[in-house]
Amino acid sequence: MMVESRRINRKKALLRILLYFVVFDICLFTLYPYFVMLTTALKSRPEIFSMNGKIFPIQAVWSNFVDIWQKAPMAKYMLNSMVIATGSTIIAMLCGIPAAYALARMKFKGQTAFLGFIIVSQMFAPVVLLIGIYKVMQFFKLTDSLLGLIFINAAFNQAFTIWLLRGTFLSISPEMEQAATIDGCNRVQALLRVLLPVAAPGIVTTLIFIFINAWNEYTVALCLISSDTLKPLTVGINIFNGYNMIEWQYLFAASLFAIMPVVILFMSIEKNLTSGLTAGGVKG
Amino acid sequence: MKPKKHSPLLNRTEPYLWILPSVLLMSIFIIVPIGCVFYMAFSKISKAGIVKGFNGIENFSKVLGSKAFSVVLSNTLVWTVVVVGLSTVLGFILALLLNNKFKGRKIARAIIVFPWATTLVIQACAWKFIIDTDYGALNTLLKSLGIISSNVNWTPTPGAYFAWEIACGIFVTIPFVCFTALSGLQSIDNSFYEAATVDGGNYWQQLFHITLPLVKPSLTVATVLNIIYVFNSFPIVWTITKGDPANRTDTLVTYLYKLAFYNGKQGEAAAVSVIGFLILLVCASLYMVSALKKGDE
Repeated sequence: MMVESRRINRKKALLRILLYFVVFDICLFTLYPYFVMLTTALKSRPEIFSMNGKIFPIQAVWSNFVDIWQKAPMAKYMLNSMVIATGSTIIAMLCGIPAAYALARMKFKGQTAFLGFIIVSQMFAPVVLLIGIYKVMQFFKLTDSLLGLIFINAAFNQAFTIWLLRGTFLSISPEMEQAATIDGCNRVQALLRVLLPVAAPGIVTTLIFIFINAWNEYTVALCLISSDTLKPLTVGINIFNGYNMIEWQYLFAASLFAIMPVVILFMSIEKNLTSGLTAGGVKG
Repeated sequence: MKPKKHSPLLNRTEPYLWILPSVLLMSIFIIVPIGCVFYMAFSKISKAGIVKGFNGIENFSKVLGSKAFSVVLSNTLVWTVVVVGLSTVLGFILALLLNNKFKGRKIARAIIVFPWATTLVIQACAWKFIIDTDYGALNTLLKSLGIISSNVNWTPTPGAYFAWEIACGIFVTIPFVCFTALSGLQSIDNSFYEAATVDGGNYWQQLFHITLPLVKPSLTVATVLNIIYVFNSFPIVWTITKGDPANRTDTLVTYLYKLAFYNGKQGEAAAVSVIGFLILLVCASLYMVSALKKGDE
């Protein structure tokens, strides 16, 4: 009996060590591209292209992180990304909250059709529709403008917005809003004063998610924006990624500026987001 | 005790007013472009992008008749099936690992989120640098560790390039699968496992009879969404090879981008869009039927 339990304990300890070993390796592997970006961003150009490069820079060239702001309109790119992401988030929420509210709290003809339409709209990535999008943008004179990108991002994020928010609203009991209506609130007031404060965590998750999606968007911006001063970071940093020569050190220094804010934001919502995505899916 | 009396007409139209902004937004920027693409797919279009009248199925027959298209189509299928398949399996295994309680789990979760939050174009740039033959980071790393003595050419053929693109695709897709599966795993009531242990069920029996059936809904959602994303994914292939050489690494979306914006063949590009749309429609309708059915239960 003693021997048996000791054997089980030893097996458990071994499994534990194995678990640590595997998870640690996966983390190393996941971080490797970021490690490469950081070390490369700190190397000088000749060192990067030398045949006997070392893993770490011989001497860290911190000035790369300063130079990019002069070599390219980085501040402008960053501002553009900020404007696009913020604008898209605001429009997506302004349109999405009322729609999600109607889907969660009202019954109307065509409800199932609307839900089905939302799900189908998800299968269209903007890239497949680029030619059509380009024509629509020409019609509104919105090619090469931030406003155009804002509308596109907001529209293509509608499905997720409504999906996530509807799930949040459904998880909250309607009793409080009903009580508020009895006290003389109308629906809009009940939504703004009663439901939204309770739904705040779900709303924050949703808006950060849209913000990140819009910040990371590349394909539509690549196609629609031609002026250098209107490019967001994802497109703009390719100024260092030329056909004839690639300035890797600058490209990666700029990339780190582009990814750090969203990675940090993402970590803050990851848990709520995943449960919201699957819950919304299971509920239809 | 009704608080306010609306007219019956307002009551009936009210829900539609609530969904109106969203419907307008999606109609103008998604539905109208869809209409445009279909219209253009059946039109003769000049190089300058001006529609010159109805063209029947000529765009389609041109696309389907070209040698490049069959390569592109099979690339797209390989790309979608391999990336979605492998990232689903690996992501699920990773979720099982992370579902154990251990020290540093929070840090591990935070690290594994990285590729999900990083914009694909930057991730792809990093991979392009890593696999470079002359000065790539992978060769540098392996030489420093003494595993190789001279530079290895990691991309001798177009197929090798495509394999690296697939690897990059899997790398960035795993976190999404992992975290959706993990949220499914964590919602499983522990009492199921306790009961199974009392009945003498071993780990593998528990995995196949309790865990898998209960995470299935989460995994299904993740898989369907992934099929759509991966099928439509543009930045990885575009950044690493631009579909070259000679369409050998093109997928449907990079191919249509080149047709439309490099070669001035907008009609054919629209036809490719429609074909891609029809392929996805089959997947999405299957998904919609199952999702709506669940909603009714």
